[in-house]
Amino acid sequence: MDLDLARNLPRAGFNFDNCKRNATLLSGGFKPPTTTKTGTTIVGIIYKDGVVLGADTRATEGPIVSDKNCAKIHYLAKNIYCCGAGTAADTEMTTDLISSHLELHRLSTEREVRVVAANTMLKQMLFRYQGHISAALVLGGVDKTGPHIYSIHPHGSSDKLPYATMGSGSLAAMSVFESRWKPDLSEEEAKLLVRDAIAAGIFNDLGSGSNVDLCVIRKDNVEYLRNYELANKKGTRQLDYRFNIGATQVLHSTTKDMHITERIEVVPMETS
Amino acid sequence: METLLGIKGKDFVMLAADTTHARSIIVMKEDQNKIHKVSDNLLISTTGESGDTEQFTEFISKNIALYKMRNGYDLSPRAAAHFTRKNLADYLRSRTPYQVFMFVAGYDETEGAELAFIDYLANAKSLNYAGHGYGAMFCSSIYDRYWHPNITQDEAYDIFKKCIVEIQKRLVVNLKNFNVSVVDKDGVRNLEPISAQSLTDYNASS
Amino acid sequence: MSILAYNGGCVVAMRGKDCVAIATDHRFGVQAQTISTDFKKVFKIAPRMFLGLTGLQTDILTVRDRLMFRKNLYETRENREMAPKPFSAMLSSFLYEHRFGPYFIEPVVAGLDPKTLKPFVCNMDLIGCPNEPDDFVVAGTCAEQLYGMCETLWKPDLDPKQLFEVISQSMMNAFDRDAMSGWGATVYIIEKDTITERTLKTRMD
Repeated sequence: MDLDLARNLPRAGFNFDNCKRNATLLSGGFKPPTTTKTGTTIVGIIYKDGVVLGADTRATEGPIVSDKNCAKIHYLAKNIYCCGAGTAADTEMTTDLISSHLELHRLSTEREVRVVAANTMLKQMLFRYQGHISAALVLGGVDKTGPHIYSIHPHGSSDKLPYATMGSGSLAAMSVFESRWKPDLSEEEAKLLVRDAIAAGIFNDLGSGSNVDLCVIRKDNVEYLRNYELANKKGTRQLDYRFNIGATQVLHSTTKDMHITERIEVVPMETS
Repeated sequence: METLLGIKGKDFVMLAADTTHARSIIVMKEDQNKIHKVSDNLLISTTGESGDTEQFTEFISKNIALYKMRNGYDLSPRAAAHFTRKNLADYLRSRTPYQVFMFVAGYDETEGAELAFIDYLANAKSLNYAGHGYGAMFCSSIYDRYWHPNITQDEAYDIFKKCIVEIQKRLVVNLKNFNVSVVDKDGVRNLEPISAQSLTDYNASS
Repeated sequence: MSILAYNGGCVVAMRGKDCVAIATDHRFGVQAQTISTDFKKVFKIAPRMFLGLTGLQTDILTVRDRLMFRKNLYETRENREMAPKPFSAMLSSFLYEHRFGPYFIEPVVAGLDPKTLKPFVCNMDLIGCPNEPDDFVVAGTCAEQLYGMCETLWKPDLDPKQLFEVISQSMMNAFDRDAMSGWGATVYIIEKDTITERTLKTRMD
């Protein structure tokens, strides 16, 4: 549709209209606002028949926990998932974008996409933005060449590893892997190891918290175990904080009724 | 330093603006009119960066005049305020932002009176009474006390006098003279300016 | 001071049983000076969907206008009403477009899906990271106080009457501890067949 009046239609890509104004405002002594960060513990390991990805579920805005149960394991393709740490919007949007590119790639090549392709796309995009898109990722998947784990840094470098950790809880998680990871773990061993690594992050790192999410990717199927373990259950309330109905004083009130009363009758088409 | 005031009634809007033009610590001019007649039913009062006020007000008023020539009818005060805000917001995002604080005041047969507060960030709000600048800080309480929904033009003028008495008494800056204009169904009129002299008479009588 | 606290104000939205509620305060100020006490930060987007915007007022107005433009264009093209979920997705990508020069706002969306009538609440940070919890969302200068109040008062499956009390008391007690918000409040309760708008009696100091 071509609308002459629709000149405000968005152009693709980033928009820098506000940059000058914002720079002036911020130079005038205002503090820049905080964005939602995922401090995060994210991990991934290779086991005997595939990979296991793990993540905590805390999102923070400065010292405030802004989401107690967010999902940090993002879908990229049927056989590839990706954990994200850093600025939450960046990890979310970057993985969404690459996921769409991968699907187009799959359709044009008529093959299952490989993990290495996802890695290349992600790192090239992050390198192009020179670290301004702060997404630290653990990419995992299984393709015809076997299971793979990559860790990708915000500036666009990546490592291919048998086990990887990222985010502020990466040190706590890595200590678990360093002591217990070995080649050809069984699936149960692998899940337990990843669970323990994430739990180490949740309980020892302030940026990570709440629950454990797991994602097991095997040769030809995926098991996304959202909230695999609720490490921090909220206590049940013994008493009830309840305000009596009418406790709040109301100055005036308007109600809009949306009952549909109009009746529609079918008028037969004239055929004579 | 400079001060703008505005009051809206049921069928009129009244604006007051000081007439001082100062640069740094020097008063350059004592008789500058900051209330601009834009069309038969529209007033804009402006303060801020000295060049910007003139340039931006002129840009807006010429465009509003152009709108009337093209369409054969005036932009309503509400639309004019929206247009002004949009332009200010767009310029704010350019290399040459305007630093202006303004009131767009107008009267329209169908929409009634409108007083729009717009500041340099293009924050905008339709209000019953408002002020810009340091002088306005002394006026909020006077407005709160004396404004009412059925206010008349005489009462509004009187509120301005009360405000200006307070400004001249309490503000360190010397704002001697205030121009006052009103817009209603009969169009735009300039009222008697409120000055230190006229206020001595006012104080003597009360 | 953060630029998000230049004008002050707050918004909260909550989910109930087959209903949602969204509430806003009325203050519009320029830093410490209150300019107006009738600025509602919640806008009606569709018959059963409301958008709350807190932050810098100039950006509240600009974002509201730009979103309405995009939403109207969507509805003209698709010839159907926009549901809360796609609206939030649109809002999120709009904000992320401005990743490197953001609008200084924090949005809250509340509504019922026009077809399924499922309750929906969602909020975002200023660059559009969406958050869709199943309890409540908050935004504004007293977000921290709101978190505390909502966390204690909210519980699952509140009916519209109880939800009104919970959201009103959460909001009023939160903004009474914040100098930049308050001066009146409006609560919208959205049910499948009625929208109730109530103006609350609050402290005016």
